[in-house]
Amino acid sequence: MTAYILRRLLSALLTLLGVAVILFVLFRMMPGDPTAQIISPALDAAAQDRLKQAFGLDLPVWQQFIIYLKNTATLEWGRSFTTGQPVASLLGGWLVNTLLLMSTGLVLAISLGVVLGIFMAARRGGPLDNGATVLGLVFQASPPFVIGILLLMGLSYQFEIFPSGGMFTPGADPGNTWALITSKDFLEHLVLPTLTITALYLSTPMLVMRDSMLEVLGSDFVEFARAKGLSPVRVLFRHAARNALLAVVTVSSLILGFAIGGQIVIETVFSWPGMGKAMVDAAMQHDYPVAQAAFFLMAAVVIGLNFITDLSYSLLDPRIRLGTT
Amino acid sequence: MDRRDFVKGAAALTATAAAGIGQAQQAGAPVAKRSILTATAQFDPARPEIARVVAQSCKSLGWEVEANPIDYNQGITKVINEHDFEMFLVFLPGTAIRIDPDFFIRSIHHSTEHKRGGFNWAGYKNDRVDALATVQSRLMKIDDRRKPVLEAQETIFQDQPGTVLAYTQMTMAHRSDKLKGLVPQLGEGIGGFWSDVNMEVAGDGFSRTGSNADVKHLNPVAVNDSMEFMELSMIYDRLFRLGPDGKPVPWAASGMKLVDDKTIDLTIRSGMRWHDGKPVTAEDVKFTFDYHKKWKAPFFLAALNNVVAVELPSPNTVRIRLENPSAPFVSNVMATMFLLPKHIWEGIPEKVGIDDPLKFPNDKPVGSGPFKFDYWRRGSELKVTAFREHFNPPKCAGIIRITYGSHDALAAAIEKGECDRSRYILSPALVDRIKNVKNVVAKGYPSHGLYHLAYNNKIKPFDDPAFRQALNHVMPRKMISELILLGYADPGASIISPISTFWHNPAVKVPAEDVKKARDILAKAGYGWDAQGKLLSPRGK
Repeated sequence: MTAYILRRLLSALLTLLGVAVILFVLFRMMPGDPTAQIISPALDAAAQDRLKQAFGLDLPVWQQFIIYLKNTATLEWGRSFTTGQPVASLLGGWLVNTLLLMSTGLVLAISLGVVLGIFMAARRGGPLDNGATVLGLVFQASPPFVIGILLLMGLSYQFEIFPSGGMFTPGADPGNTWALITSKDFLEHLVLPTLTITALYLSTPMLVMRDSMLEVLGSDFVEFARAKGLSPVRVLFRHAARNALLAVVTVSSLILGFAIGGQIVIETVFSWPGMGKAMVDAAMQHDYPVAQAAFFLMAAVVIGLNFITDLSYSLLDPRIRLGTT
Repeated sequence: MDRRDFVKGAAALTATAAAGIGQAQQAGAPVAKRSILTATAQFDPARPEIARVVAQSCKSLGWEVEANPIDYNQGITKVINEHDFEMFLVFLPGTAIRIDPDFFIRSIHHSTEHKRGGFNWAGYKNDRVDALATVQSRLMKIDDRRKPVLEAQETIFQDQPGTVLAYTQMTMAHRSDKLKGLVPQLGEGIGGFWSDVNMEVAGDGFSRTGSNADVKHLNPVAVNDSMEFMELSMIYDRLFRLGPDGKPVPWAASGMKLVDDKTIDLTIRSGMRWHDGKPVTAEDVKFTFDYHKKWKAPFFLAALNNVVAVELPSPNTVRIRLENPSAPFVSNVMATMFLLPKHIWEGIPEKVGIDDPLKFPNDKPVGSGPFKFDYWRRGSELKVTAFREHFNPPKCAGIIRITYGSHDALAAAIEKGECDRSRYILSPALVDRIKNVKNVVAKGYPSHGLYHLAYNNKIKPFDDPAFRQALNHVMPRKMISELILLGYADPGASIISPISTFWHNPAVKVPAEDVKKARDILAKAGYGWDAQGKLLSPRGK
């Protein structure tokens, strides 16, 4: 088991290093000079040089690369070109905001998907099965902003039940973070973006769970459990569902990867001050330190989640653990 | 102009095209195809559209032109730093410091400004304009400057180093049920300082002022474009403020005396305090100049090079010695630079463990302005409250400056009443959409900003003034103002907008769109047309 974990960990770290290198190269291949964005054209040549020097852009590329690697390894990431803030402190705040939103939405999408999937499989071809399939596919097929904007139009602009965006009502007292995120105000702001995320990502776990359930329900051990005289509910949940869950765990890590991409759009639609929006802004403004760190962090989250998925496999299915030796 | 007029115009062109063929035998090679560099629709929906209609109009001369919208950063790097472009369509925003004519006359047209980072990217050179631009920048009396400014405008218009296509308005929106007493300011609309301090706000007294762009930072030394002034100007004071009409108003300096052309004496207003209670002194003012100069604050670097020394001849007097007389010094430095409290900035950056004040976050700014910093939640909101001890205290309780995800989200928040004012321009299409909503006032406010088409004067065919003059007569100005900019703009001509009544030269008139006239100018300059109506250069050129 330890060897397995170590091997997975090593490959995760190597992947991260690869990501770091690619990011450095990619951002320098982007059209446009960063100085053109962070340095106003209203500045004369001397002022441009002054700013280049302040942010280390006057150094040769290889030196910038070494500084960058060092910064990435120490998780320092230097300072933002546009704001002058240490990147780590900037990203910390944004990441928390993003995780708050994304985890709520995805937990809801996956758990709801799993439960619906079980019932759909239990009543295959019934109205729930058909209805949920169609609805799930429609949600999945629509671009994220469409669902978000429709929800905003209906529940915010038309009926004024929920606020139109942001994390808090402007001017809400900024007490400590914990008090803020447990406040009614925050929860109200959370509803619409969470619903959007749930709707967007519901179908995959739901359909995968359904199919996997159907397969498991047809297998011998389920037959046997039924023959033992176990109650149908017990068979469905304890025996079939547990085995079917493995497939959902697999796709969940994939969903997370997609969700991180979709987050950018959702945060823009709902003015949510998170990582996705910050990434877009930083990329547009050629704020290398922030953009690189944000993309790196996102990659780290995906790779980290994959790592955890791998580990949870081995917990759910001992065969995988054994197979590695 | 409606569609029918356009078709009619097009028909007229075909007729004149035929008329021009006669000259073909004297003419040389076809005029090379050129492209108009501009920003993408994502950056500004209007620009690629304007470039396209301009290209279309150039075709009426038998000359191929194409629109080339590219990433904004890439574009300005090519233009400003490398001068690598043929035509460049740009929006020059009418910021408050550009009300002084120095920017539009000297920065854009003086031949020495054709350099990396300079605004004369067209490479324009006219000795008379150079002389006039220099003279106006050194005359310390505003009335003396008017004459050279007016003359320069006319000469520039004759020479057409670039064409002014449209004067734009600032399209903005606010809630009339929440805000009273807004004071529109030239170049800043209702989002500027004079509205901040003069508006009365219903309810809890805090204005919810929204923008689609986040506050970048709160470090007054690190500002590098005037957009970054907006929030800082509430918290920090300046020696002067540019008034609603753009004229400097005495502020932290209660009086100014010109000892001679190169020596300015300022009287520092008494009784001012920093937000932490310490008094604002002449020491602080001297420190501010020295600090900006020592650390080469990028925005002021060039202007401060002209400052020889800042002295304190008496306890509340500051004497500034300049190397050369500088007319825009008041608006571009004294009404722009933010006063720093010496007792806080003295040890920066060393005492906070960094090597450069440009990297100083200044998370808890202490200024002497009419608003005190309260808190800033990055990416979502900045809150400032009224500083009652200020000599010109705000009429509202404070301002909460909110960041929205997009122009659309901002417009929707104003429509719903969650937000009561747009800080800066809201896109014309959205202003048009919400202008009829109850309690919403959405409209255009005067600005001296303009859409400008620069020609690279160093390359063919733009090195020929006659060619540029001809282009001036085919520009589809009406279509740009009315159809693309939805009427929130007026056709342009002089480089100084008529909004600046004092500086604008009324003798410069918007030319009518007249393809025949353009063709006549070209024919007279030796251009011709081949059998297909293609424009040919004069023989030997």
